[in-house]
Amino acid sequence: MIEPKPSPPIQPRPNPIQAIVVAILTFFLPGLGQLFARKIRRALLMLASYATIGGLIVWRFVEAAPRDTGFVPIFLKGIRLEPMLLFILILAIIFMILASIDAYFLIRGVERNAAGLFILIAVLFFFLGWQLSDINLVRFITGLDEGRYRLSQVMWPWSRAIERPEELIRGEAIIEIPCSENPPAQSEILPDEAYVISDPTCGVLSVQQGPEGSPLHLIGGNFIPNMEVDIMWEDPIGNEFRQRQGGEYISVMSDDEGGFEIDIIMPYRLLPTDVGEFQYWAVFGQQVASLGEAQASTELKLAISHMIETIFLGMMATCFGIVFSVPISFLAARNLMSASWITVIIYYLVRGVLNIVRSIEPLIWAVIATIIVGLGPFAGILALTVHSIAALGKLYSEAIESIDPGPIEAIQATGANWLQTVVYGVIPQIIPPFVSFTIYRWDINVRMSTIIGMVGGGGIGFLLYQWIKLLDYRAAGIAVWFIAITVAILDFVSAEIRKRFV
Amino acid sequence: MLEVHNLTKIYDDGTVALRDVSFKLPDGEFMVVIGLSGSGKSTLLRCINRLIDPTEGEIIWNGIDLAKLKGKELRETRRSIGMIFQHFNLVKRSSVLTNVLAGRLGYTPIRLSVMGRFSKGDMKLAHQALERLGIPEQASKRADELSGGQQQRVGIARALMQQPKLILADEPVASLDPVLAHSILQQLERLNREDRISILCSLHYLDLVQRYATTVIGLHEGRIVYRGSARDIRAMTDAEFKDIYGQEAERVGESIGGIIQDA
Ligand SMILES: Nc1ncnc2c1ncn2[C@@H]1O[C@H](COP(=O)(O)OP(=O)(O)OP(=O)(O)O)[C@@H](O)[C@H]1O
Ligand SMILES: [Mg+2]
Repeated sequence: MIEPKPSPPIQPRPNPIQAIVVAILTFFLPGLGQLFARKIRRALLMLASYATIGGLIVWRFVEAAPRDTGFVPIFLKGIRLEPMLLFILILAIIFMILASIDAYFLIRGVERNAAGLFILIAVLFFFLGWQLSDINLVRFITGLDEGRYRLSQVMWPWSRAIERPEELIRGEAIIEIPCSENPPAQSEILPDEAYVISDPTCGVLSVQQGPEGSPLHLIGGNFIPNMEVDIMWEDPIGNEFRQRQGGEYISVMSDDEGGFEIDIIMPYRLLPTDVGEFQYWAVFGQQVASLGEAQASTELKLAISHMIETIFLGMMATCFGIVFSVPISFLAARNLMSASWITVIIYYLVRGVLNIVRSIEPLIWAVIATIIVGLGPFAGILALTVHSIAALGKLYSEAIESIDPGPIEAIQATGANWLQTVVYGVIPQIIPPFVSFTIYRWDINVRMSTIIGMVGGGGIGFLLYQWIKLLDYRAAGIAVWFIAITVAILDFVSAEIRKRFV
Repeated sequence: MLEVHNLTKIYDDGTVALRDVSFKLPDGEFMVVIGLSGSGKSTLLRCINRLIDPTEGEIIWNGIDLAKLKGKELRETRRSIGMIFQHFNLVKRSSVLTNVLAGRLGYTPIRLSVMGRFSKGDMKLAHQALERLGIPEQASKRADELSGGQQQRVGIARALMQQPKLILADEPVASLDPVLAHSILQQLERLNREDRISILCSLHYLDLVQRYATTVIGLHEGRIVYRGSARDIRAMTDAEFKDIYGQEAERVGESIGGIIQDA
């Protein structure tokens, strides 16, 4: 701080008693003593900080204990719920003490550096900010631990990128109920299809709270090796149900050759009434296997198609941006617009509008656009176009402003006319920066369009947002990967192109 | 023959840059304009090819008053007056060849030149000009890849493409080192002697003036305060020197080869 040196330094020096009184007053109102000592700036800064910090502390206490009334209950509850408030309070009191000590010495005429006081103020604001913004490192650490599985899904989501169609493998044996004189023949052993042989091939069902059904010995073969086979039944009217025994579903592990053997008791079942004397049921073993050709999952396809949409969304916005911003940039270039006061007014107007439009984030423009044209990529294009016009308009106009007038004069001096001067003197100077800025903007637009979807602007952001909401972290991970890869490639390409042109 | 009569230039902000300047430049002369910074040298040169409009006076170039010309007539007259600049004023991002060909724009139909097309004859002329200035192998490079001395040669080649009768050179060597300064001025001298192109050149270093000028005018605050031949320069008196460079100016060393120090 630059303290103006008191020009007449010969002031009657107050005695210690006065100084102490002032110091005590300063404790209650930091800055007061400094004001007496004519340290106006220091005093004002301290007063302002004191008022702000005091106000914030009171507010935080009330916030922490919203239902309590009275000073003491609020204070106690605040301290209990938010221990940091106590710490902040202590710091504030230290500040007040230091302020009064500072005041004492100033009144006694001792020049003092107030840096320590202001550092303390900064520290106070830091901790107030910490308390205010709900920073919780413990939650961060524990959350990291809990979220690890989900994060790993996002980071390596590729199991979700392919899927195989599921296939049922089934072998069955016909069972006659009850046994007739000619029970059905045993099923054949097929060379390359799953089969189940039952011995015997007839029997009686279990009866609820009655006698158990007949035992069956099942032999299966040609199933997928080392995989569970569910034992199931199909009744004469085609209902399928799983074999249950002792309340548990029955399944058996196939051996290395894909065969199995198991003894079961025929299940309970109410017999359908309108079938004949003898019923033919089927007992079968079933495996559900993902055997088919691996193919891109729905999520992967969606991510790819939306990524393409996103890239084009950015491209279209950039195209529209160029179309509008080129003419606008001429109006926003000072060197072209300083001819008369009318053009100067236009210049300031255009510049002002560009600055305002540019300072509003594309996300906000997207929200506005969705109100007008509804959800979808068009809203995203509109939003990015508006922002691109403003951003490119400014960059282009700056490129125009930095045109070197020397070559233009030199070309005029050869007898070239206006058009020739533009083609040979102006355009070669503005094309490289224009191209460079445009590529850069395209880069930004694609990047922006990945998140603009989150507010309904179409593209991959929309998917990402949905998948996160559905807690489908693998699918979200696929989207994140696509975004990252695209952005990286684009970054590289745009840097390369720009290198060529500058 | 260039005749300047009573030329006055007052800028919009009221600065009087030239007051009542009159002189004659007979064909084939190498005339040097000397004077302090701000004395109006650039203004004078730029008035002649009308990069700036004079306030009053006549600029008679081969019987035509340049000061009154407009539009097409002005452009056609400009073709016969080349100009080279202190900072070369090349289009940096264009190739050397394109920069040289730009000197031909005044002669080229607009339709063709806008598409970047020049006649075979112009192409040949461009290569010849580069050859003559000793930089034939640089034609396809970007102008800003060349050294300062090379860039000024490109500037001269561009002027040469106009097949001018007069070359205006505004401090053509001020941004070059002394060795390069001599080589550039020698090129101008060759053009002056071999092609009979008149040269009107502003210079800061008196040794260069003595070496290359055939006639000299001195400007001080927009007025001509000195006229002389190359020989007169060698014999310049202290009084004359102070007329040009002001009362506080001091001559460094002897009259010959002195370097002017601004007051
Ligand atoms: N565009 C302009 N508007 C207003 N005043 C100008 C302008 N250009 C030059 N001047 C003024 O006119 C006077 C002469 O300038 P000029 O550039 O002709 O001097 P010079 O002799 O070429 O100087 P130097 O050696 O520095 O190039 C100076 O006082 C300058 O400030
Ligand atoms: Mg000058």
